[in-house]
Amino acid sequence: MTDSEFDVVVIGGGSTGTAVARDCAIRGLKTLLLERDDIASATVGTCAGMISSGLKYSDEPDIMAMCSKEVMHFNHIARHIIMKNPILAPLLDLSDAASDSSYVDSYSAHAEEREVPSMLFLTPEASREIEPMLNPDIIASVYYEEFFIDPFRLCMLQTLDAIKHGATVRTYCEVIGFDISNNNDIQGVVFYNRVTGTTEKINTKLVINATGPWAHKVAKLSGENLDIRLNKGAHVILDRRVVNVGITVKAIDGRWIYLFPHENTTLLGTTALDTWEDPDSLVASFDEIEYLLQSIQTVLPSIREARIIRTMAGIRPLVPEWKRPEGKVTRGYRIIDHSENGGVKGLISFTGGKLVMCRHMAEAATDLVCKKLGNTAACMTHKQALPGNDADVDVSALSKEYGIALHALERMRARRGTEMLKVLELTKEYPEWKTTICTCEPVIEAEIRYAIREEFPQTLNDLRRRLRLGTGPCQGTFCTFKAAAILSDELDLGGDDFLVDILDFRAERWKGIRQSMRGEQLAQEELTLGMYTCVANLDQSDVDYDIKPWEEGS
Amino acid sequence: MNEDEAYEYVKNTLKKELITPYHADELEIVKSVSCCINCGLCINHCPVVAAIGLDRFNGPRSIAVELSRSPPEYWSTADKIYLCTGCGTCREVCPKNVDIPEIVNLIRARIFEHRPDLVPKGFMLVKEIIAEHNLAFEPWVDREEKAESRDMRLERLGLPHIPDVVKKNAEVLFYPGCQAEERTQEVREAAKVILDLFAVDFTVLDEFSCCSLPSHLMGDEDSARNLAKQLKKKVKKLGVKKVVTTCAGCTSNLADLAERDNWGTPTYHLLEFLAEEIGFDRIKQALKEQTPSQSVHVSVHDPCHLIRHTSRRIMDYAMDILSLMPGVKVTESITHDSCCGGGGMVSYHSRDVADAVVKENLISLEETGAERLVTPCPLCTAQIESNLFKSGSSIEVDDLTVFLAQRFSKE
Repeated sequence: MTDSEFDVVVIGGGSTGTAVARDCAIRGLKTLLLERDDIASATVGTCAGMISSGLKYSDEPDIMAMCSKEVMHFNHIARHIIMKNPILAPLLDLSDAASDSSYVDSYSAHAEEREVPSMLFLTPEASREIEPMLNPDIIASVYYEEFFIDPFRLCMLQTLDAIKHGATVRTYCEVIGFDISNNNDIQGVVFYNRVTGTTEKINTKLVINATGPWAHKVAKLSGENLDIRLNKGAHVILDRRVVNVGITVKAIDGRWIYLFPHENTTLLGTTALDTWEDPDSLVASFDEIEYLLQSIQTVLPSIREARIIRTMAGIRPLVPEWKRPEGKVTRGYRIIDHSENGGVKGLISFTGGKLVMCRHMAEAATDLVCKKLGNTAACMTHKQALPGNDADVDVSALSKEYGIALHALERMRARRGTEMLKVLELTKEYPEWKTTICTCEPVIEAEIRYAIREEFPQTLNDLRRRLRLGTGPCQGTFCTFKAAAILSDELDLGGDDFLVDILDFRAERWKGIRQSMRGEQLAQEELTLGMYTCVANLDQSDVDYDIKPWEEGS
Repeated sequence: MNEDEAYEYVKNTLKKELITPYHADELEIVKSVSCCINCGLCINHCPVVAAIGLDRFNGPRSIAVELSRSPPEYWSTADKIYLCTGCGTCREVCPKNVDIPEIVNLIRARIFEHRPDLVPKGFMLVKEIIAEHNLAFEPWVDREEKAESRDMRLERLGLPHIPDVVKKNAEVLFYPGCQAEERTQEVREAAKVILDLFAVDFTVLDEFSCCSLPSHLMGDEDSARNLAKQLKKKVKKLGVKKVVTTCAGCTSNLADLAERDNWGTPTYHLLEFLAEEIGFDRIKQALKEQTPSQSVHVSVHDPCHLIRHTSRRIMDYAMDILSLMPGVKVTESITHDSCCGGGGMVSYHSRDVADAVVKENLISLEETGAERLVTPCPLCTAQIESNLFKSGSSIEVDDLTVFLAQRFSKE
């Protein structure tokens, strides 16, 4: 086989696509992953990162059981990017307690295998000791525990592991067509390379369509119809961990929403709206932001005083069950083999699924691929650890050895585990790379250089996904130029590319900031505006830059 | 599990996750620090950054936008967070008034609870002394020796001894602070001389105990809250209307505690008390009755705990009072309000940092040509005095209370 011959092409670099590519590669299949943008740049990049026990899905016991197993697998293969989140569900009246008692039992049924307690009941006094911001009128609260994963790093680690096992990964390659034989069999994939502006074609035996909210569009390229229910979800992101534990509450319409500490921010989410919007230009609406704030302030009356940094919005590719509310649609997934109903042969699509089950989905799809290709290798993705997971890291010792701040190293450890040593190694030859570039997260220059060299980013936004660059309270006000200079140096970019990348990054930040801009963030934006217009004169730049749909005027 | 067992379980899990829930009275601090816009103005004003550079101490801006954002990771700030002297310059220059000094204490409290192994060893010794004696300094073993030391100091300074009085329902509780109570006894005695001169109805504590600031600064929040509770009880029991102290740290800490814990008893630094309660007319009158002392050329150092943690007005009072004193010439040093490095318990583990911070003060102090430095804080006095001595300077240092008492006291 040459470089243009593959056993399987996986389309989509989200949580599912990267998991499939990893599974296929580990099982020895010649695998190509194509992603039209960057790894984790759409749905998974806008999720809260909760690898849920599935307690909301108590009427789907199989799915709850599967979720629990998957949580344990992640705790085994990716513990360095996982944190436990203790959660309180405060109850304001007895009807709150009575209406949903089923989830208490179904959550508790699998608690032991996840090594967490059954749901516990706490007095109002104890609840307010744990979270003093809680409404004094609560009558009790329910306590439970979930786990959170860094969704960006999960996708990146799955991708890096796939590459380690021989897979080829191509980002910024958008599939624009399929090569289909006369007997309706997919033989090749045609894609447009957005970096070089060229069209390429490769041959493959099978195609996995893991494109989430674009699944029906990609299927259509082969002439196939795929029914899917697209559903928008938005989050509001608050500066720092303003709550001591996660808080879940019934929203004003009876759905469950949450306020979860996540990394060094707090996430308030989420909404659920059937949507027909373009996933690329999706933004959170005023109504969504207000719905979330109105809902959470029933139990946290002072939440509006907290600083909102930005919003993020994404689209869930739900299983097409219609005429029922989003919350009643199965949280399971479907694997559609298009050949089964006389459709095109060699195309397998996903609908549904959740972050927690991405590995499971990949296993099921890869089993199908292997069956078709006569490969008998067993799935290993739940046994083999992801890169960086293999040992504990003594951050204190490394801090002393390399002379880098402890906190900067602890943040790096949470992204890379043992792999952080490779970053630190660079500082031996280049001690000046210990410089902090992003002051909020923080990120040092060596990690940026390492990520550019080893994790194939093309843009500052790609670096953000790999490093949390520019995701703090100042939203990249002070790191954009510095990081752009490093990127330009490493990728040998010209002056115009450098400026366009800065504008793109600012535009992407603005996409989330604009919708929720209020309170303390206004002061930040005032400063940012001053920096980028009055000092950097970017508003006067004549560089060739296309205004994004969410940017107004020129 | 019943509700009590459940609560214990949850507390245990939070401990494992290194989370100490924010206390209700800490929420304002958290809210304040989230207002940081990362402008970096504070970095150029931080005396520790100026003294040791950003590589060793990444400065107040980082504390706000980076180090204070995720409680489970507070332990990993231990290489930086103890280097803050708590001077409050950052908060003063901050366009958003971000309360850096208090978030530093909040973080230190979490490290103290969850990772005592990362707490500077020097703190543990202080913690033990406080636990045993309710004092930040090891007390005198022999009461008589203590009295002898006091009398020697008084004799050297030419101050009379005003015997201690403990009584209920006095107007004022004079609270000297640990350092004046056990070490620099002349400050304690000088204050009594001044209060006596102005016929203030005052008492001292029957059994002195620490105001809790050192525990608070170390992050030993349990001890801090205990000491605060203990002192409140004593103050309430005495039935005094006001607390007067000669220590800058006690002034700001007691003012904060009185507000947080609803003492209903205001705290004054002696300078404030003189200016606001005695009044300049009476001060002038008292000075007229004295035989003029020898003329003296002084410079003044402003303690952070007065100017930035309480009010800059207190040092204005100090200057006003000094201006009334015959024969006292005051020359202002350009670093008169710059931290001496003695705060934040930094000298207990990183003496080099504390001494690097005071260097600038010494240089500009020499430039004033003053023969004497006065400052209303026993801690600043000690820090500046020992560094002047080490540098071979001839400038002497007086606690301002002692300096005033000498000029007030009847020959």
